[in-house]
Order: sequence, then C-alpha cells, then structure tokens
Amino acid sequence: MLGPLDADLPHLLAAAAVAALIAGLLAIERKGVLQLMLARPLVLAPLIGAALGDATGGLALGMPLELLTLGGVSLGASTPDNETLLAAAVTSLVVPAGLLLGSGVDESLAALGLLLLAPLGYGGQRLERWIEVRNVELADQAAARVAKGDAAATGLNLRGLVLPFVTTALICGACVMLAPALVLLRRFLPPRAVAGLEMGWHLVWALSAAAAVRAIRDPRAAALSAIAAAAVAGAAVLTRVLP
Amino acid sequence: MSEAPGAEGQQTRSPLRVGGLTLVRIFLRSLFLQAAWNPRGMQNLGFAFAMTPALSRLYPDPAERAQATARHLEFFNCHPYAAAAIIGGAVRIEERVAAHEAKAEDVATFKRALGPPLAALGDGFFWLALRPAAALAAAMAVPFLGLWSLVVFLGLYNFLHLFVRVWLFWQGYRLGEGVVEAIGEAHVPRGTGLLKSAAAILAGALAARSVLAAGLPDRPWHGLLVALAVVGFVLVLPRLGLLRAVYLALVAGIALGASIL
Repeated sequence: MLGPLDADLPHLLAAAAVAALIAGLLAIERKGVLQLMLARPLVLAPLIGAALGDATGGLALGMPLELLTLGGVSLGASTPDNETLLAAAVTSLVVPAGLLLGSGVDESLAALGLLLLAPLGYGGQRLERWIEVRNVELADQAAARVAKGDAAATGLNLRGLVLPFVTTALICGACVMLAPALVLLRRFLPPRAVAGLEMGWHLVWALSAAAAVRAIRDPRAAALSAIAAAAVAGAAVLTRVLP
Repeated sequence: MSEAPGAEGQQTRSPLRVGGLTLVRIFLRSLFLQAAWNPRGMQNLGFAFAMTPALSRLYPDPAERAQATARHLEFFNCHPYAAAAIIGGAVRIEERVAAHEAKAEDVATFKRALGPPLAALGDGFFWLALRPAAALAAAMAVPFLGLWSLVVFLGLYNFLHLFVRVWLFWQGYRLGEGVVEAIGEAHVPRGTGLLKSAAAILAGALAARSVLAAGLPDRPWHGLLVALAVVGFVLVLPRLGLLRAVYLALVAGIALGASIL
C-alpha cells in the first residue's frame, strides 16, 4: 500500500511501478501459469486497488467487470476479450484518480474510466493473438535445437511469459500516470453530466447482471434465472409489505 | 540399469521409475503448460517442458533424450487442468518405452486419443460451470462479506481445481491408459449440470438484487428502468457483443441521467 496518493511525479511513478508489476504478474497468471483465477477482475481489481491505497474501490470496479466478462471463455483456439487487461487498466486509472480527488471510486468516476478504456478488452484480445503468433517462433526454435540434440531447449517455453508481462505492465503503468488527467476531466464536468455518468454506471450494472445470466450455457439457465429472480423480488416485496 | 533379453530380440530393461521428486517437478512444470501457447502447436512446447525432468531421468543418452523430447513437441491441445492426466499418463508410458515394453508411437497415440475428450470435459466443468458458479456466489456475498468475498471465490474454485489437478496427474501416472476409466467413474458431466443450475439460480438472484438496489427505498422508476435494462440486455447481448453493449449502457445512462435527474 502506497498510502495517501499525491499528484507529484515521484509518487505517481511509484504507484505506476507497483500497479505495473502486479498487473504484469497477473497477466501471465491468466493463461500462462497456474490459472488460479487471480487474474479475474473480481480478484485483480481489489489487489491492484489495495496496492494503490483503496481495495474497496478496486472491488467496486472489479465486481461488475467480473460479471460482464463471465461468459468470455477460451475454448480451443478461440480467444475471448482480455478481461485482465481491461480490469487492470480501469483500476490503474480510476483508483488513483479517486484518491487524488478525495472521493474514492464513485459511480461517475467508474463510468468515466470504463467509457475511456472499454475498448482495451478487445485490444487486449488482438494483442494476445499477436503474442501467440510470435510464440510459434519460440516453438520452432525449440524444435530446431532439440533436433540438434539439445533437449534442454524446452526451457524456451518460459520466454512466452515475457511479452504478456511487459505489455500489460506498460499499459497499466501508463494508466496510473494518466490519472491526474482523469481528475481534471471529472472536475470540469457539469453536474448534469455527472448525474448522467452515475445513471450510466447503474445501467452497466444492469448489463453485468444480464451478462451473468447469458454466461451460463445451459438450456435451462434462462428459466432457472427467471424463477430465482422472481423469488428474490417476491421475498423482498413480501418482507416490506408484511408487518 | 539392469537389462534382460526382450521378446523381439531387443534388450528389455527392468521397469524404470522416474521417482517421487521428479514427479513433483513434472507436476510443477505442468503449471506452465500454456506459457508459450501458439496457434500451430498450441501447448506443444509447454508439454515438452513439463516432460523434460522425466525424459532426463529415463534417457541418460543425449541422443535418445533429444529424440524422446522431439515427440513431445508435436501438436497438443487440451484443457490446461485436465491435461494433468495426460502428462501423468505420458510419463508412465515413457517409462515403458524406455524399458522397451512399449513403442514410442504409443505415447503420441495416448496423447492424441485423450486430448479432445478431456478438453471438452475440462472446458465444460471448469470454464462453463465451476468458474461462473464460484464468481456468482462471491458476487452474492459482497454485500455481507465485502473484500472477504474474494476468499469465497478463490476458495470455492481452487479447492476443487487444485484437488482435481493433482488427482488427475496422479491417476494418469498410476494408471496410464487406464486413467480413462477412473475419469469416467468421477461423474463429471453430472457435476457440471448441477453447478450450471446453481450458477443460473445465483445469476437470477443477482439480477433481482441489482434491480432492488437501484429501486429501493424510494426510487421505484429507477428500479423499473434497471429491470427493463436487464431483460433487454439479456435479449440483445448475443447480437450486440460486449463492447457495443457497454457503450450502449453508458451512453443511454448518460442521456437519461443528464435529462431526467
């Protein structure tokens, strides 16, 4: 934890380095190593948030992003949107901005961050594909060296972790450095625009709930979800109506 | 290494074992299976990387070792957790190949036969059932547990994930080709169905809670709007795609919020 964040350059650079390191490590955990789900938005955003000084703010960002990307699954050669890069970048931008503003991560700031960085999910997918095509060269190099009798060349496998680490770390470090710009933007917004962003964040939550329902690929899922939703809503209404 | 005459005139060596420590090293390396995932060989380099300690032990001759390593650089793809069974099984078969009790092609045949079905089983269970169920359980727990909901997610998911991964690796090594029966007796599809049902119920409850949180205590129209948005997004999300849907939600929210509130 860095403590109270200051907008001066050394503080921002330190925060950027910490966010970059954590995001880079989690980027390789996402697919290359372990896959303990530490790179999911639900875990990653509070972790980066805690390192920057606001774990709860990170959770406020990570929860809807987790639900939004719950249906993205890497099956065979298919590559889903990169939820790790998206969540890490949004957290690296919004959490420091909230600390600099003194308000923490509020709805308008979260919506503004997502509005600016949402394409990173798709961009991250393209980046991942590019890195994987480069990994063909690694496999070819390993095969050539093994053919010459160097069986230890399989260690080249670990070099495949370098590019995901570096690219994610650089993007997230840059997002922290851009946090003061987000603070300026937020300060200049008129109250009506702030109210609009707050409503936008509520609709992002609605979209997250819908994406969660859609993420369950089962013919009975829609019916089960509808029954559960009706039961919860009914129970809430009854507990308010009954004495 | 003691040697005895084989049935086909080859020298049949006494059964070789890689040893416990080597098995631990192979398992730990199997956690890096997808480090250099590539569209041509997919997990080929990761598989060969995981097998390296076994091959070093089984083939002291560098030329034989390189030959054995080369056969693990062939195309391979499976679910990263379920692949543990294939890696364990491949080690067992390599032990037999090194002892001239099996042919080198048997390893490739084993990998090719088990890769696709175990990939389908692992994808269905872990990616499409356990992960959504654990994430939704954690999401439901957030109002009560706050940051501790992370522990709910990671605990639910990894308790099962790590247990299954270690179990598959050990069963693969212990049974070789027989691992198929052991996995069949685990009733994975039934567990997948149950977890998906649980996840669907949790998703519905979460949607209702989002509506109630937006509408209560004195904002019924706000709640109604969010309810309509949830239903609308459920219907149009597959056609719209996630990025467009996010921008639709944000732009609609900004327009509504700025004009109404």
